[in-house]
This record gives sequence, structure tokens and C-alpha cells, in this order.
Amino acid sequence: MDDSDEALMARIARGDERAFGVLASRHLPVMLGLARRILGNAADAEDVSQEAMLRVWTHAPRWQPLALFRTWLTRVVVNLCLDRKRRAPWVALEAAGEIVDPAPGAGEKTERDERERLVAAAIAELPARQRAAIVLTYGDGMSNAQVAEILDTSVSAVETLLVRGKQNLRRALDSVD
Amino acid sequence: MNKKQLQDFLEAALKRHTQAPPADDAAVERVLKRLSGPLPRQKMPLWRLPGVLLDWQFAPAWPRVAALACCAALGFVIGIAGVDRHFDGGGSPFAVASRADLGSIVFEPEPLTGARP
Repeated sequence: MDDSDEALMARIARGDERAFGVLASRHLPVMLGLARRILGNAADAEDVSQEAMLRVWTHAPRWQPLALFRTWLTRVVVNLCLDRKRRAPWVALEAAGEIVDPAPGAGEKTERDERERLVAAAIAELPARQRAAIVLTYGDGMSNAQVAEILDTSVSAVETLLVRGKQNLRRALDSVD
Repeated sequence: MNKKQLQDFLEAALKRHTQAPPADDAAVERVLKRLSGPLPRQKMPLWRLPGVLLDWQFAPAWPRVAALACCAALGFVIGIAGVDRHFDGGGSPFAVASRADLGSIVFEPEPLTGARP
């Protein structure tokens, strides 16, 4: 039996719940990870992933294989994440307290850790679309064209999002130096 | 840290911080469990409606075939026997009335009194 995503979607379109289970098991881990990186929150990521898979079920009869199923599902997840971020603005985590390490070279290590923490915090505070573009480009290794397709925008707009995102991060890091 | 070092650090840090985390099996199980409940109704596209109608299986049913044959026979009889026959044809009471001189009927004097209407 053909177990490709497209074949499973054809079966789901006919109401096959078993095929839906197979497809959900296959894609949920990755989609959960993506949602978690964009939202920065595990509970919200679970909600978004569940909602995305339900959309797969309800929209299966209307789905047409114009693009890869994975690309379409990624687009659904990213859009749901952006919607959620729009409704509930990001709340930054409290900065962890610094622990003084008495080992040799501890100062250098502390500085490096501080920078890492700043990068993480700065990524978390990026606007949702910049963050999504950075996660898809750097985290998932997608090309700008793929990211543009998922974000439903042009390649030049993706490049702008990346440049602005990196400018924001650089500003955050410059504030330390 | 000079500009080049900062750029390199930023690129590396972006890759590190946006890497996909290891799969959280517990979270996956939780979501799958939530999805295993009754699923919502699927949205059917309108363009599939003709297909659905055409997919109907018409099982042979003698009463339906007989009804269809009766309708066909009735249609044939009506077609042959003449819905197209004219109303003023021979033998029709309408035709008789239409042939009479209506004016003479209306204005004819009363035979006994000679009065006119």
C-alpha cells in the first residue's frame, strides 16, 4: 500500500481515520518542535500542533497536491503560530541569576554564557515573522524561496525579514560590549 | 569582539538556538491522544458535489422501471392522441358556441311579449 503523504491525504479525504493517525504520528514531532521554537512555549506548541492536525483532517477533501504536503503543513503551523503570537504577545522569560564559577577562565566562560543568553532572549523578543523566518532558515535549513512560500510572501521580503532580525540581534549584543 | 567576529558569532548562535529540539515523545503522545477523540466533520468542496451525485449506485428496481415505462407510455399516448388538436375542431361544444351568431342570440326579441333585452 502507498504510504506517501499524498496517498494518505487521499485516504483521509475519504474519511479514513487510520490514515489520519499514521500521518499525524509521522509529522507531529517535527511540527511540535517548529511550533515550540517559534512560540517559545511548550504548551502553546502542543495546542498549535493539535489545531494544525485538525485542519489537516477537516480540509483534506479540499486539499490539492499543488505543493508538498510537508510544505503545506509547515505553512499551516507557522500561520497558526503567528496568529497566536499576534493575540498574545511574547512574555520574556526572567533572566536567570548568574552563578560565579571559581574555575580558571571562568570570566571568559561567563561572558560567553551571557552572550548566549542574550542571543536567546533577543531571538525570543523578535517580531513573530522575523522569528519564524530565522527559525525556518537557520534551524530547518530552508532556502529563502521555501521560506517565502511558507510565509506566503516574496523572496525579497524574506531577505528583509532576515536582515532586520539579525540587525535586532546585533543591537542586543552590542549593548553588552 | 570586532565586527567580523560578531558576525560569525551571530551566525553560529542563530544556528544553535534555532536548531530543532529533540523529539518530545510525551508531548507527541499527548497530542495524539487528544486527536484520537471524535474528529470534526470534514469540509466538502462544492466542486465534488457533481461527483458525489454521479457516484450514486442505481440498483435495478422493478417498481421504478415499471413507473418509468408507464410514464413513457402515457407520454406516447398523449403525444399521438393530440394535445395539439384544435379547440374549434368538429364536435366540440366550444366550437358550436363559437360558430353561432352571438349578436342574434343576445338581441333577439322575446317571442311572447316582443320585448328586447
